[in-house]
Amino acid sequence: MLNMNNISRIYRSDTIQTHALRDFNLQVNAGEFVAVTGPSGSGKSTFLNVAGLLDSFDEGSYELDGVNIQGLGDDELSRLRNEKIGFIFQNYNLIPDFTLFDNIDMPLRYRSFNAAERKRRISNALEQVGLASRSNYLPSQLSGGQQQRVAIARALAGEPKILLADEPTGNLDSLMARQVMELLHTLNEAGSTIIMVTHDPDQARAIGRNVQVIDGQITDHSVYAPVNNNAPIEVKA
Amino acid sequence: MEMFNYYFKLSIRNLIRNRLFFILMISTLAVGVGVFLANIAIIKSMSSDPIPYKSKNIFNVSLNIWPNDTPDAELIEIMRYDDAMHLLKNNIATHTMVHYQSQVYTRDIDSTNLTRHQAVVRATTPGFFPLTDAPFAFGGSWQQDRAKQIVIGDTLNQQIFGGGNSVGKTLEIDGKPFEIVGVLKPWELKPLFYHAEDGQKFTTTDDIYAPIETAMDNEWVVNVRSSATERSDSVSDNRGKNVFFIQTFVQLDNQQQKNAMQQYIDNYSQHRQQQGEYLRANDNRLLDVNQWLKHKEVVDERMLAFALATSLFLAVCIFNASSLLLARYHSARFETGLRRAVGARMKDVFYQGLVESVLVGVCCAILALLFGWIFLQISITLFPALEHTSDIDAPLIIIGIGIALVTSFISMLYPLIRSCRTPLSTTLK
Ligand SMILES: Nc1ncnc2c1ncn2[C@@H]1O[C@H](COP(=O)(O)OP(=O)(O)OP(=O)(O)O)[C@@H](O)[C@H]1O
Ligand SMILES: [Mg+2]
Repeated sequence: MLNMNNISRIYRSDTIQTHALRDFNLQVNAGEFVAVTGPSGSGKSTFLNVAGLLDSFDEGSYELDGVNIQGLGDDELSRLRNEKIGFIFQNYNLIPDFTLFDNIDMPLRYRSFNAAERKRRISNALEQVGLASRSNYLPSQLSGGQQQRVAIARALAGEPKILLADEPTGNLDSLMARQVMELLHTLNEAGSTIIMVTHDPDQARAIGRNVQVIDGQITDHSVYAPVNNNAPIEVKA
Repeated sequence: MEMFNYYFKLSIRNLIRNRLFFILMISTLAVGVGVFLANIAIIKSMSSDPIPYKSKNIFNVSLNIWPNDTPDAELIEIMRYDDAMHLLKNNIATHTMVHYQSQVYTRDIDSTNLTRHQAVVRATTPGFFPLTDAPFAFGGSWQQDRAKQIVIGDTLNQQIFGGGNSVGKTLEIDGKPFEIVGVLKPWELKPLFYHAEDGQKFTTTDDIYAPIETAMDNEWVVNVRSSATERSDSVSDNRGKNVFFIQTFVQLDNQQQKNAMQQYIDNYSQHRQQQGEYLRANDNRLLDVNQWLKHKEVVDERMLAFALATSLFLAVCIFNASSLLLARYHSARFETGLRRAVGARMKDVFYQGLVESVLVGVCCAILALLFGWIFLQISITLFPALEHTSDIDAPLIIIGIGIALVTSFISMLYPLIRSCRTPLSTTLK
């Protein structure tokens, strides 16, 4: 599903170069739930952004669902983002004056779905995150946990191959965080591939596979009790 | 089309959400464009060629017969009755016309209504019509010098007869009947080159065209200049006297004609000189329509200075509006980034920006045209001579819309290009 080999990402400013990722290798198979942990500034978000095609990389190769990312133009990259990836941000990134419906509708607009199909997908997605009755609410009328669930619904509506979540519970209190985590586990059990960055060791422990990023590299990979993971796990360190 | 609808709805939503901002921004630009358009409209009509296809062939004749030898004395275009009659006799020009302007009160002789209408009269000769290409709707010119016949303009025809073919009807002027032999179509000359006098350069064409002999015989009033020793008791009495009031225009279609005409007027003034008239140095001029209008200073200098000011003002308005817009699109980059992150192509984002900037540009253009029209009306009250002349015509409308669209488009494009260059992860942080 996701295959990164020797990826490096260097941020250059006038005076300093930061190796946010170096010789970064990771394989993730369909159906896996991967928790990414590591100290602050170690490159977790950079990895997830590169994986989600929100950032470029300088060296190495990256294959997503059988497509080699190298050398793709904006049209192809956008299409991959739209069809294969569902990105969940720490701060939800909902448009405040769009209703839930319109927020979830946004990615669907860039695909040739007709209105009925979009509506069907939006209702399904809202149903999956337990907010079916609120499609006309504005984000500000929801709690943080609910807003994050809307963001998850937005990611789900496109029926992506992989969900990428960067500290999805980072802004939530523990109760709301638990609801979001339960939702992600349910989705994984239903077959979604998920990579999630987290600082919470308890959350990581509950997740099938853990990888740790230190100083831009994967230095440790511990596999806890795999959940719904039939494929053999390959990890190149 | 579906995407267009979507973007259109989003743009409307944006405009409404940020209405105060957009009202300010759009008004700023619209005021600048409006003032500019109004000013250009005025200058354009002031400097326009009233008869472009033959302006090089029509000449005003100015003779040096003014009895004053001051070298810097102003060239004078009015001449005496006798001079005009001599010029009229030339068989060089394709057409020749002499004229003076008068004013009368008139009414339909058959009407029970006794109200008289004030009417501007062009006392002239039949050459007037082919020379100026005055368009006849009905009938034609009079043929006899002293015919009690007239041609009327469309406006007067509408006023008195409610339009239609009035040939054969009779107007009463100062108690006397005059038969209508011709009616003109609506006709405009901007500027009115054959009578480019102060305050009249931009008036409408005349109400009544009458034989000059008839006008003089009937004492239709005229402004004259005369030498101090000459007394003018009545209009008809002006024949044979040193009283100056007639203008002459000729149509010369080639250089030979022009040379011959110059020779003809030079011979004439020499002949007058030999008869002992007090004349200036030989300075008889044939000025074509555009030289003539320039000589009469049709474009007001104040207007040109004002044009510079309005151009600068427009520049200030454009800078202002685009800096407002730049800030606005800059702050919209979160939404742009988010759209890109969930799969919008640069093309899509660009298309959305295009729709919004066109919408803003169109609102702006509409308002600019409205402001332009208002400023034009204000200018006309300041320069009443411009009435009936200046309007914001198609090319100006296109310029106005163009400025508005380009400004909003570029202000949209620049932040978009900038934000497409930064990685999405940075935009969404
Ligand atoms: N746009 C950028 N420009 C320059 N340096 C950057 C940029 N983004 C990240 N970095 C640097 O790259 C390194 C990795 O950053 P990253 O955001 O991936 O860390 P992280 O593991 O997500 O940290 P945290 O747990 O605090 O979110 C850091 O040293 C950071 O300063
Ligand atoms: Mg991070």
